[in-house]
Amino acid sequence: MTAIFKRETKSYFTGMIGYVVIAVLVAFIGLYYSANCLVYGSPDFSSVLYSTTIAMLFVLPALSMRSFADERRNKTDQLLLTSPITIPQIVLGKYLAQLAVFAVPMLLACLLPLLLSAFGEVLLAGAYATLLAYFLLGAACIAVGTFVSVLTENQIIAYLATFGLLLASYLMEDIQTLFTTGSTMAFIIFSIALVVIAVLVGLVCKSLTVGCGTFCGGAVLLILVFQMRPTWLLNGLNSVLDALALFAPFRDFVGGMFSLSSILYYLSVVGLFLFLTGQALERRRWN
Amino acid sequence: MIEVSHLTKRYGAHLAVDDISFTVEDGCIYGLLGPNGAGKSTTMNMVTGYLSPTSGTVTINGHDIQQEPQAAKACIGYLPELPPLYIDMGVTEYLSFVAELKGVRKKADRTAAVARVCERTGLREVSRRLIRNLSKGYRQRVGLAAALLGDPRVIILDEPTVGLDPVQMIEIRELIHDLGQHHTVILSSHILSEVQTICDRVLIISGGKLVAQGTPEELAARLASRGMISATAQGGREAVLAAAAALPGLSDLRVTAEKGDEVSFTAVSTDGADHRAELSAALAAAGCPVLSLASEQMSLEEVFLQLTESEPAGGEPAGEETQQPAGEAAEEAGAAAPESGPAAAEAEPPAPDAEDGAGDEPDDSAGAGAPPAPDDPPRPEEENGKEGD
Repeated sequence: MTAIFKRETKSYFTGMIGYVVIAVLVAFIGLYYSANCLVYGSPDFSSVLYSTTIAMLFVLPALSMRSFADERRNKTDQLLLTSPITIPQIVLGKYLAQLAVFAVPMLLACLLPLLLSAFGEVLLAGAYATLLAYFLLGAACIAVGTFVSVLTENQIIAYLATFGLLLASYLMEDIQTLFTTGSTMAFIIFSIALVVIAVLVGLVCKSLTVGCGTFCGGAVLLILVFQMRPTWLLNGLNSVLDALALFAPFRDFVGGMFSLSSILYYLSVVGLFLFLTGQALERRRWN
Repeated sequence: MIEVSHLTKRYGAHLAVDDISFTVEDGCIYGLLGPNGAGKSTTMNMVTGYLSPTSGTVTINGHDIQQEPQAAKACIGYLPELPPLYIDMGVTEYLSFVAELKGVRKKADRTAAVARVCERTGLREVSRRLIRNLSKGYRQRVGLAAALLGDPRVIILDEPTVGLDPVQMIEIRELIHDLGQHHTVILSSHILSEVQTICDRVLIISGGKLVAQGTPEELAARLASRGMISATAQGGREAVLAAAAALPGLSDLRVTAEKGDEVSFTAVSTDGADHRAELSAALAAAGCPVLSLASEQMSLEEVFLQLTESEPAGGEPAGEETQQPAGEAAEEAGAAAPESGPAAAEAEPPAPDAEDGAGDEPDDSAGAGAPPAPDDPPRPEEENGKEGD
């Protein structure tokens, strides 16, 4: 794992990508920091970070796009997969290397609240807690990007798909307001989701009966819930959409709250997507 | 030792590898031979654990590649068809990375191991360069050096000499030969002479199936029992062929030359028996005196072609239809009998397939005689000719 970590980290800096990612993030944070804190004299470092989350959307997919897509195109995955190391080690090595690059602008940002405290009273604990959440948010974005990268061998597709996913999750709260019109809407959306799931299950099991059975079972359950407890559907839909809004929990920290559940949320997103990455890598050996 | 049993790989409806079983003994060089797309790379990828088989097992030194992948992979050094190189790295840097990947923990050990393989593969003078700037031959060597790191017992090389110039090819072959002293080597190739010269044992794969295995001599001997007879008789072409075709146990009649009223042809004995006496009697009975008669050994090349072609080149009817140009060409060139074979081969250029001219004479003339069939697998012949082994 250390071998892969070292190689990956180094390769980000032999090419341009590492420098570009660091430069863009530092520039954005620096820009908002200068405007908000230095010019206006606001002691609120959290809002600086909040303003720069949009930069992550553009920059982090560039970090993650090449992680697996490139290996597959150059067939270097053959070296990794035939070496005496496990797939989790490969995934972790690559993921930690991306985190290491992302950590560089974070470490630089660590200096900023200190700098600010020279001029007056700054809530350092709040600032660093937000920075931690900011880092975890980035870590979650990178995990999503790593997973997308393993699905394709084209870096550009990996970039665009990751960007699209992150953008959708960035706008998720707006999207959510479109669907809070009532439980009928929720019922329709769940029905569509059920059809998709049933088709996927049918395809994976290569059996029409299993697919149809899944659909029928799900439909009965859905209709029952819809008739008896229509609000459950609406709440269920909302909580699903909430879970997809990657950037929302970060706001708790900006509001000055230390939210353990947000931290756990980000850690579980990272865990889930790294697990999926490993599974996708494993699955590719089979077809 | 590697044990491969009932290995199968299916891609959707396409069966890439079909129930292959073989055992690789320690300390030998094995050659996996087959035309392009026969399933050599897929087999190797499954043996090294890069792909998972649809069914079947691979056991390396007692470790199942599926159950104990790490222990099994630690015994293998693999050079895939395209060397898996990170082109933005330097040679030493890359090799050091591979060494660490293979579990060489201490930095001093890594440096020593890298220096050792560089020495062995002749990479010393380029060790500081970026892989990006290396030629194909050197890249191949870097891949080979990487496969040697970690001192694996088994070294698996997928077409190690493909795309190299003749000098590099010979160097790599010598290196493989040296490796065979201390390691078990499996290499794949579609080049026959290569396998014939380096390998102790040959596995011939065609269409995903293992069609034959044994030492090169064994393989040649096994099919040589299907002896080939070349004969020249006096008389009309039809009469001669009819007399020969009437004999049971002879097939694959091909006219190799026709001059005046002398007809030269080859025939393959399908049951392994020596049919020379019967053929001679049959021809005499048909009123066609035999001028010469000889049984010929099949080279490994012909064995290979016979095994890997779905239909043995040119059935009788096809031979009849298309033999005219060959006859004419030979006539023009003034070549007559198989005994004057080399002359016939040299004098062939007017024939349509003249570039195949380096093979054995009977096969060669047949190549000219039935263009569609033997045209398909010209590679072994061409390669053979090029290297001039």
